[in-house]
Order: sequence, then structure tokens, then C-alpha cells
Amino acid sequence: MSHLVISSDVLDSASDVVGDGGAVDGRGVRRPAPVADGASKRLKIVDAAVRCIARSGIGSTSLDSIAREAGISRATLYRTFPGGRDAVLHTTAKTETTRFFAGMAAAMAAATSLEDLIVRSISESARRLTSSAALNAVMAEDPQKILSHVSLGEMDRTLVVVTDFAHPFFAQWLEREEAMRAAEFVARVVLTYLATPDEDLDLLDDDDVAALVHRFVLPGIMALGPAEHRR
Amino acid sequence: MGPRAETREAILEAAYGCIAQDGITRTSVGDVARAAHVSRASMYRYFPGGRGELIEAVVVWEYQRFFIRLYEAVCDAETLEEVIERGILVARRAIADHEVLQVMLRAHPEAVESALRAEVAPTRTLVAEFLAPYLEQHELAPGVEVAGASSFLARMVLSYMGSPGRWDLEDPAEVSRLVRTELLAGIVPAP
Repeated sequence: MSHLVISSDVLDSASDVVGDGGAVDGRGVRRPAPVADGASKRLKIVDAAVRCIARSGIGSTSLDSIAREAGISRATLYRTFPGGRDAVLHTTAKTETTRFFAGMAAAMAAATSLEDLIVRSISESARRLTSSAALNAVMAEDPQKILSHVSLGEMDRTLVVVTDFAHPFFAQWLEREEAMRAAEFVARVVLTYLATPDEDLDLLDDDDVAALVHRFVLPGIMALGPAEHRR
Repeated sequence: MGPRAETREAILEAAYGCIAQDGITRTSVGDVARAAHVSRASMYRYFPGGRGELIEAVVVWEYQRFFIRLYEAVCDAETLEEVIERGILVARRAIADHEVLQVMLRAHPEAVESALRAEVAPTRTLVAEFLAPYLEQHELAPGVEVAGASSFLARMVLSYMGSPGRWDLEDPAEVSRLVRTELLAGIVPAP
């Protein structure tokens, strides 16, 4: 099934690029630990590519501009990424996706109740998705690249990937089947408000999110389970 | 409808027929002009952007017709639960049975997505306005207001209509469970 390819691809990138010894700093940004030379060079190039994309979009990000930003020669860049620009961009997308999910996992693991988990999932994903300069640059340059993942044809696949990732956190408070549905429901809430913002509800506003969850989202999830599971 | 709007409608209907019969790639402006009995010059008066603009307009036209048919199928529902359940069932079946849409989504997902992008927010407003009177007639959970509830419901209903995710939304029992749990549990008083 195609979603499995995506998930394992994303998971691969965690050890592939970031290395296992990364640390999360105060702002939740994953910093590389001193890892093998090849891995740290790859990460340096990926970070340079992220800065180039944030500044001028993907279309204007050339292999030369990435090399210059990373402070290395074209030849060194090709030795690290024999696939050239496409390979760098592919690894960059995978790495940024991994960083997103790593940051989400850290925020969600700290939840103290089901309601707190839902609030954290929504606030943290909204904050990460709207504050990424690279993602914003891609949206401005070619909205289709991003929006196609959350529209008719592709939305189901995106929901599967997100649900696969998020349901274990919900399983701490819910039976497995309800946890899957709860994770999917929360993902839908985030995606609808981010894709087309609401005048009266801002996912970056803590009070707005708390009210949305308390009023509509939590009761919907609690109702999924048989009464004896509700706590 | 004025004569100009009528001609535009006739062109869109003819274009839809051509796409349904031959697919997008094999539908040209000339084919549509012949099918609609208008000159190529008129085609460009109505759609100055040519083929790309025409196809985008057909997608929007069929999308709007889809919601008109959906409205007709649910507008005599009597309760909030009934209107949402029937709406989701009818929409999911219509999407599954919509051969032209399925073909276009497989072959040209990006054309469909970009044509419909501007329709999302207005559609949501219409769905929320349609649901508001059903909410006004229903007993609501303490503290729930019609405006906030209809806006949330419209978003979620459209999300499930577009992408069922883990739910089998052609099964009335599953739809009923979805409506009683995720969609309405926070809006109506607990049973």
C-alpha cells in the first residue's frame, strides 16, 4: 500500500539524515549531535537548502546557491549528494517532515490528559505549519504543491499517514480503534482551519483552541467509545 | 438567465459532454464549439483564456451542480441528524458514482484542485447557512451557539464528504455513528 511507502520513507529519514543523537533545543528545533562526518555534512547541506528555500522559494534554489549557503564547493556537494539538486531537495523534504513529526511527538508525549493531548496536537501542529519560513515560501510560490496533499484526491492518504503517526498517543486514553478515529478527527480539524482560515477562530490563539476542543472536539471523541471506556 | 448566460451554460454543458465522452486530453475548443453549435470566435469571447479557462469553468460548473443536486436530495429532511446523515450518504455515493470526476481525479488531480480552490470558502458558508435553521430548531447543549456550531459542522461535514478516511460512509450505520459522535456529540445535549 502506497501510504506504507510514505511512512517508512519518512521514518528512514530520521536515522538517515538527522542521526539518533539529535537534541531538541528550547524552541523545539532539533539540533544535530556530533555524528559521523557524512551525516553531519548531509545535514549541513539540508539546512542550507532550507534557508535558500525560505529566502527565495524552490524554483530559485539552485545547486550553486545551496553550495554557497553551505560554504562548500559544488564538487563536495555532488560527492555528498550524487543525485544533485533533486536529491538534495528530496532529502530536505524528508528531513523537514521528520523534524515536524519529531516536534509533534515531543509535544504530544507530554500531554497529561486526553483533552490536553488534543489541545497540544492542534496548537503545536498549527504553530509548526504556519511558522516554517520554507513552507510559507513554497505556499507563496506554488500553493498546489502543498494544497494537493489535502484536497479531494490525496487527502485520504495524508490522513492515513497522520493517523498512523498520532494514534499511539491517543491510545494512552482510548481503545485502539477509537484512538485511530480520534487521531483522524483531530487531523481533520487542523487541516480544515489551516487550509481555509476562519474569521472567528484562530488556531494560533490558545483560548480559541481550548474552547474549540472543550466544546466540540473532546465530546465528539468521548462519544466514540462505549460508556465504560469514558474517563 | 439572459442570452449571454444561456450561451455560456450551453457551452459548459457541451464541454462537460465532450469530457465525459472523450476525456480531458482529447477535448479541444473546436470540439466543444461544434457540440455547442457556436463559432470558435464566440468560444473565445466567453472564455478568453481558451482551453485552460474552459476546463476550469467546467469543473466549477459541475461542482456547483453537484451541490444543487445534493441540496435537492436533502432539503426535505426534518431533523438535524437526518439532514446530515442523508447529506453525507448522498454525497459519498454521488462522488463514488461520478465517473467523470473519478477520471479527472486520476488523470488531472491538480486541475481539479486549482479550479475548486476558490470555491471552498463560499461552499462552506452556504452549507453553514443551510444547517443553521436545523440547529435553531434543535435543542442544543448548554453554551452552544448556532453560529459557532453551524460553522464547525459545515467544515467537518465537507471534510468527510470529500475524504471518508477510516469511515465507510456508504454504510448508513457508520454514517449514523459518525453523526452521533464526532459531528454532534458536542452540539446536542447528551442522550
